[in-house]
Formats: sequence, structure tokens, C-alpha cells
Amino acid sequence: MKSESEHQQQTQADTSHQSENKAADIQQEVGATIGQPFVKQPKMQARHVDVFYGEKQAIYDVSLDLGKNEVVALIGPSGCGKSTFLRCMNRMNDTIPICRVSGMITLDDEDIYAEDMDPVLLRARVGMVFQKPNPFPKSIYDNVAYGARLHGLAFNKAELDEIVITSLQKAGLFDEVRDRLHEPGTGLSGGQQQRLCIARTIAVSPEVILMDEPASALDPIATAIIEELIDELRQNYTIAIVTHSMQQAARVSQRTAYFHLGKLVEIGATNQIFTNPLHELTENYITGRFG
Amino acid sequence: MDNDLNLTQHISRRYNAELEELRSDVMAMGGLVEKQLADGLIALSTSDTEIAELVATSDYKVNSMEVAIDEKCNQILARRQPAASDLRLVVAIIKTITDLERIGDEAEKLGQLSVQLADKSVTSSQFAELRHLGDHVKTMLNNALDAFARMDVADALRTIEADKQVNDEFESIMRQLITRMMEDPREIKNALRVSWCARALERIGDHASNICEYVIYLVKGKDIRHISVDKMREELV
Amino acid sequence: MNNTELIKKGLAKRYRREKRFRAYGLMAILAGFIFLFVLVTDIVIKATPAFTQHWIKLEVNFNPEILDVGKKAGIDELKQANYNLLAKKSIRSLFPEVKKRRDKSKLAAMLSSSAEYQLRDMLLAEPYLLGQQQTVWVLADDDVDTYYKTDDKSKAVRLNDKQKIWADTLAADGRVSKRLNTTLFTNGDSREPEQAGIRGAATGSFYTILVTLLLSFPLGVAAAIYLEEFAPRNRWVDLIEVNINNLAAVPSIVFGLLGLAVFINYFGLPRSAPLVGGLVLTLMTLPTIIIASRSAIKAVPPSIRQAALGIGASRTQTVFQHVLPLAMPGILTGTIIGLAQALGETAPLLMIGMVAFIVDIPHGFLDSATVLPVQIYLWADSPERAFVAKTSAAILVLLLFLVVMNGLAVLLRKKFERRW
Repeated sequence: MKSESEHQQQTQADTSHQSENKAADIQQEVGATIGQPFVKQPKMQARHVDVFYGEKQAIYDVSLDLGKNEVVALIGPSGCGKSTFLRCMNRMNDTIPICRVSGMITLDDEDIYAEDMDPVLLRARVGMVFQKPNPFPKSIYDNVAYGARLHGLAFNKAELDEIVITSLQKAGLFDEVRDRLHEPGTGLSGGQQQRLCIARTIAVSPEVILMDEPASALDPIATAIIEELIDELRQNYTIAIVTHSMQQAARVSQRTAYFHLGKLVEIGATNQIFTNPLHELTENYITGRFG
Repeated sequence: MDNDLNLTQHISRRYNAELEELRSDVMAMGGLVEKQLADGLIALSTSDTEIAELVATSDYKVNSMEVAIDEKCNQILARRQPAASDLRLVVAIIKTITDLERIGDEAEKLGQLSVQLADKSVTSSQFAELRHLGDHVKTMLNNALDAFARMDVADALRTIEADKQVNDEFESIMRQLITRMMEDPREIKNALRVSWCARALERIGDHASNICEYVIYLVKGKDIRHISVDKMREELV
Repeated sequence: MNNTELIKKGLAKRYRREKRFRAYGLMAILAGFIFLFVLVTDIVIKATPAFTQHWIKLEVNFNPEILDVGKKAGIDELKQANYNLLAKKSIRSLFPEVKKRRDKSKLAAMLSSSAEYQLRDMLLAEPYLLGQQQTVWVLADDDVDTYYKTDDKSKAVRLNDKQKIWADTLAADGRVSKRLNTTLFTNGDSREPEQAGIRGAATGSFYTILVTLLLSFPLGVAAAIYLEEFAPRNRWVDLIEVNINNLAAVPSIVFGLLGLAVFINYFGLPRSAPLVGGLVLTLMTLPTIIIASRSAIKAVPPSIRQAALGIGASRTQTVFQHVLPLAMPGILTGTIIGLAQALGETAPLLMIGMVAFIVDIPHGFLDSATVLPVQIYLWADSPERAFVAKTSAAILVLLLFLVVMNGLAVLLRKKFERRW
């Protein structure tokens, strides 16, 4: 028994050693991004984005476009910077004091880090859906109405009702909650809560929706519903989704970007990435190999 | 990422083993099909009815291997959801075994035809032509399986090119047979049988060339079916 | 030996340890309960006598001669009348055999000194009683009261033997009655136990705590919000944090000294005023409220903040519309616990003069006042035996206040914690 555990430790030590070596290799290997980072009709453009947390650099020179009406999936191992990058797109990183962003990110050719860009306005235009469904401890109605009230989008009760109902319909939740709009949003199931959060985001009529692992806490059925919803939302919005599930990325996105150690290694059509990736790191990641 | 398709680097060791097993199964099936073809050709050239019967009755082995490999591929698709090179490997294998099974069928046909041709007086010249074609096809199949085993794109391309020669030889045999049939209508029955043999061998050449296309797809991720060989070269080089 | 056996061997020991530990816990709780029970029972038993008072029935003849006024005296003249003598005469009339001057004064001492004021108020309210005979119940002196309440009569040492006989006679004649002690709740402090009440101290406490609440709650919550949500992380903020935590551990009397030096000596605010007491207690309560509020704010899940920010709420909107409502139960609990602590505080108030003997009930933040715990301290220090019961009664009232406040904390927490 003892010898076996020792052996296990030994192998563990070996693998960790190996992966350290790998990491060292990769640092040198990873150069510029492979694939097609740019599109003809960009909604958002990121150019040479570096992100620092204090002294530590989290993102290295990332450039890519989010095209109009497309879903871009950001994949990569934990800590690769994909979530950090996503948060740069609507300046959610502003709330972290030690976080510093350089490079340029534009929304419809406006620099979102410019002096005259108000982060509050930006976040109304670039909405975000989070990993954990996080409805406010208020009624379903108030959850969806919150953003509209906040930004003064509705001038009377009827308009507000209209916004709430259309948003819930777009999020595919209205039929399920029709009779309990004034019941707490936290009483819904996980999948419904996440759709409520999406409805809440849509209610502000954003142009871009950023999703940070929106289905990672949900069961497969709820996940499938969310994925279907994402596909429908694509008609009206530009969507960037961070996901740990490669199948999900393959299912919902038109383009996929693979991040590795803070660098954008490869970006290209999802069809191509999942059948014939160009970079060995991408290949290793999506096929579940060491790397 | 060159010709080196790395099947042993998965985090899941069982997955490695499954893919490895699949590949060796395909190689075993290929070996069996090769042997069937060789036996068929021997039966044809030596008019050995015993071997011919053996070939005709052994096809079930190939069929059952196809079913077994197919099942394994389904399992991997369902349970591992392979992506990229793994996905291409499984897809290539599914297609390869279909072609191998067809080759098996054609070899069976050869066996049956050689039983029918055994007691007939067929001129040796025709047999020589057939044997030549047979050797050629056998080499093609051999090369195709080699290319598959080694994931060798260059070999595969060469084999695909060789198929043109096989087709030419088939054409020339057919022309000879037509001439013969016009000369002597009594020969029509035998001539038709010989033409069926030639046809079977030509089909085997096509299947071998298909397998090579799958190898290229597997390694390069490019579908080069239904395009000319020159264009292939252009794209691959 | 395989694993199962190894585990089995240790299992019994592990379970024993678990049981033992549970037993320790149970014993600790039990011990706590016993202490609490003994303490409360002791206080309740000691306090019970304070809630009743004995009254003596007198036949009072509002004789103008005794009162030293004219037969048709007006209100002004009646105000100046000699009611003291009237009360004395009335009780002497019950014991005509008492002749000696010494005994006469002893007899008169059996009535509370409030008897003459009672008679005066009566006559002033109904002047036509002048010259008439009336049956009046007057308050007994605290020593007499104590004598009636004591089972072991020999222990009532404050009465001499003659007084004891008179008291017994009065009781036998049905001239003594035991009534609920309302004086305790309506009067301010007094040197005479039978006239002493806690209303002054309770009012003082009320004003003081009100000042404390009005100052410390907004200040504390605002400071907590700033430190948690807005303050940059640097050395200065760290220093402030450390100091706030340290302030919570500073002995309360130090705050009293500070109050004396700053509020009274420097700013010249009046001594003994609830305003100053409230200010001092605010200083003492602030760290508690800040620490409790900060932890309540910290406990609000970050996902809620992100959700609000992600929709486009500003930092301030996020804090006031989402974080604060969710943190409210914790903040309120912390505040009420801080206030309860302040309510029970004595030491800092001693330093700013709230320990003075104050008879009047305060009517504002600048009137001289004392507070409940200080009143308890004062009474506990008084020599009269009746003050023992009074002290316990006051403690009970203070405890009641604290229980009500804690109950309020629980109630508020329940109400706001509805997370749906």
C-alpha cells in the first residue's frame, strides 16, 4: 500500500515537472496569433490589448474582432485570460483597482477606454451575463425592469411592462413565468434564473452581449435551452461567450478563439478549429492531450 | 504539426488505448483483405478451385471485422466526442473500413468468377493481362495500407496517381475483350467473365485510392476527393 | 492487517472522542444556563419587594388652627400652611398615649416625608375640605415598609421596639395596605427610598441612546461603506482599519476622559447632559457598528455587485440599491448590539458627571441627567436597606430594556433578511 502511494507521488511529481517544462517551451513557441482574427463587418475590435494585474501581465498583445451578428467563443485552459479579456470588453475590470489595460478596444469605432467614454453607458451597450445565475433578490418583473428603470428607458408603466415582457419573451422565459411575474426571481430553477439574467441584460437593449461561462452551473437540458437561446439572440446581437465546454463552443459559435497563458494562440471558424486546428496547442487542448 | 499524428498524448490513457486498438484493428482488417485479394489472384491464375472456394467463403470474416470496428467507432464518437485529429481519425477509419469491406466483396467476386473460369479454356494471354492488373492493384492496396499505417501523405499521393495506370490497363483489357468478342461470338461468355474480373480489380484500385484520400484527410485535414491529382499536389505542397 | 480492520480499530476511539466533546459542549451550555438562572432568580427575588409599597390610613382633620391659616384662607395662604404638623397630628391622634417628645418624633417618622406634600396637594385641589375630617392613605416610611415586608421581624433593626409595636397596632387595626409601587416608575431619584424612582434615569438613558443612535448609525454605516466599497487599498486605509479595530478594544473609561477633556472642557458643553453622554457613547459604539457593518457588507455576494455593474449601474447605485439592502440585517444587528452595550455602559459617563444626584426628570438633551446603569450604581451605594430592592428592580428594568432591544434586533433581522 505504502509503496503504491509513493509511486503515485512519484508519477505526480513527474507529470508536474513535465508540464513545467512544457510551459517553458510554449512561452517561446507562442508568437503571433494564427488564423483569422479580423472580420469584414466588425462590431467590436480589440488591438494589441495587454492586461496587467499589478506587476503581473495577464493578457499579451491580443487582437481580434467581434463581427456583427456572430457568436465568438473564447476557449482555453483555466487562467488563460479568456475571462479577463471578456471583462475588458465592457470595462468590468475597472472595478479592480490594480488592473491596468493597454492597447485599444473599440465599439463601432469608438475607443471604449477613451476619456469621454462613460463606463456606465458602455455597460448598457455591452451587457454581461455571468457564470453563476445572479438574479437580484427581487421579483422577476423588477429584475428585468431594473436596467430599464436605471437608464430611464421607459416613460410610463405601460412602456415598462412592454420592455419586461418582450425581454422575457426574447429570453424564452415568458411562457414559463407569465403567471408569477411578481414572485421572487430567486425562486426559479438554475436554468430559468440564467435566462432571467439574460432577459435582464436584453432589457437594456445592448448591442453586444458578453457571456462568462453562462451554462457552467446548469444541467444539460437547461444548457441546451440556453444554447438555443444564444443562437436565436445572434440575429440581433453580437455575442462573445467564454466557455469551458468545448462542445458548447463548437455548438453555439461561428468563430472560436483559443487562449493560452494570456495569449491568443489561434482564432478561426469554429468548423475549422474543431476539425482541423492549425496550432498544435489548440489541437492538444481540444483533443484532450497534455499541453 | 506534420505527419506525426500523436495518438498517445491524451490525458485519458484509456482513450489512447482505444484509439490505438482501433488503428490496429483496421490494420488487421487490411491484412485480411490483402490476403483475400492475393488468394483470389492465385485462384485466378492457377485455376485452383479449392483456393477460389476458400476466398469466396471467407468474406464473412472481413464483414464481421467491419461491423466490430464500426461499433468501436460509434462508441468512441458517443463517449469521447473526439475533436480535430481524433475526429478525423475516427471518420477516416469509418470510411476506410467501408472501402476495405468493398475490396473484400470484390475479392469474393474474383473467387467466384475463378471457379467459373477454371474449367473453361481461357487463353493465357488474357490471364497474363489480368495477372498484371492484379499485381498492380495488389501493390496499390499494399501501399494504401502502408500509407495509412505510417500516416504518410507522400505515399498516399503516389498511390492515388498509380490508380490512373490501373484504369489505363483496365481500358486496354476491355478493348482487347471487345475485339475478341466481335471476332468470335462464342467467346462472349468467357470474355464477359474476364471483363468482370478486370472490373473487380479496377474497383479495388479505386477503393485503395479512396483509402489514400482518407489518409490525406486524416493527416492534413483537407478533403481532396473529386479533384485532379495535380491540384492535390498543389494544395498539399 | 488490511485497511478495514485498521479503520475499525480506531473507530470506537473516534466515536468516544466525539461523544466526549459533545458532552463538554452540553455541560458548558448547562453551566451557562445555571449561572444565568441563578443570577436572574436572585435579582427577581431581591427586586420583588420594590414593586410594592405600604400605605397607612390616617384620619386627617384639616383644622385651620393646626394649619396655621385663617378659616377662609385663599390658595396662596393654603400654599404656605403647615402640613408637616398636620401629618404629625394625624398620626399622633391614633396613639394618644404617646406623650414623650422623643417618642412623638419617632411616631411621626413612621410616615414618609412625602405625606405632608400629599396632604397639601389634596387641599389645594379641593380647598373646601378646610375644616373637615377626611380619611387619607399616606405613604409609610421606607423603614416601616421594610419592617412589614420582612418576615423575620427582629432583623428590621432600623425601627426601635416602640415603633415596632405601633406598626403592629396599625396593621392590626387594618390601617395598613400594600399597594403596587407606581412611584418607582413615575418619580426621579430621591434620598428617601420610598420616594425614589427610575423615571429620571430611564429618560436620561433614552435621550443619551437617542443621541448615540442618531450619531453613530449614519456615521458608522457611512464609514463602513466607504472603507468596503470605495476606499483605495493603500497604507493609509490599512492604518485606519487597524485603528478602528483597536478602538473597539479601548477601555470605555478612556472615552469618558476624552469626553471630559474635549466636549466639556474644550467645547464647553454642560456637564451631566445626555448630549455629552450620547457623544461619548457614540465614540465608544462607532467601532462596533463599523466592524459589524463592514462584515455585513463583505458578506453580500460579489455576484450581486457584478450583476448590477454589468447592467450599467454606477458604483453608488450598486451600493445603495443592492449591497446596502442586503447588508441591512447585519448592520442593524450590529447597531443594536452596539447600542445595547452603550445602554449598559457606566464608566465613561462617570467621567462626564452623569453620576450626579438628580431629582428632576430631564426634559431635553441639555438638562442634567443620569442613566439607568449609573442609577443602579448610585442606589447600590446607598445605605438604606430599601435601596437593595430598588437596585434589583432597576437592574430588572435595565435587563428588560436590553431584552427588548435584542428582540428588536432579531425582529428587524427576520424582517429584512427575507431573501425571497
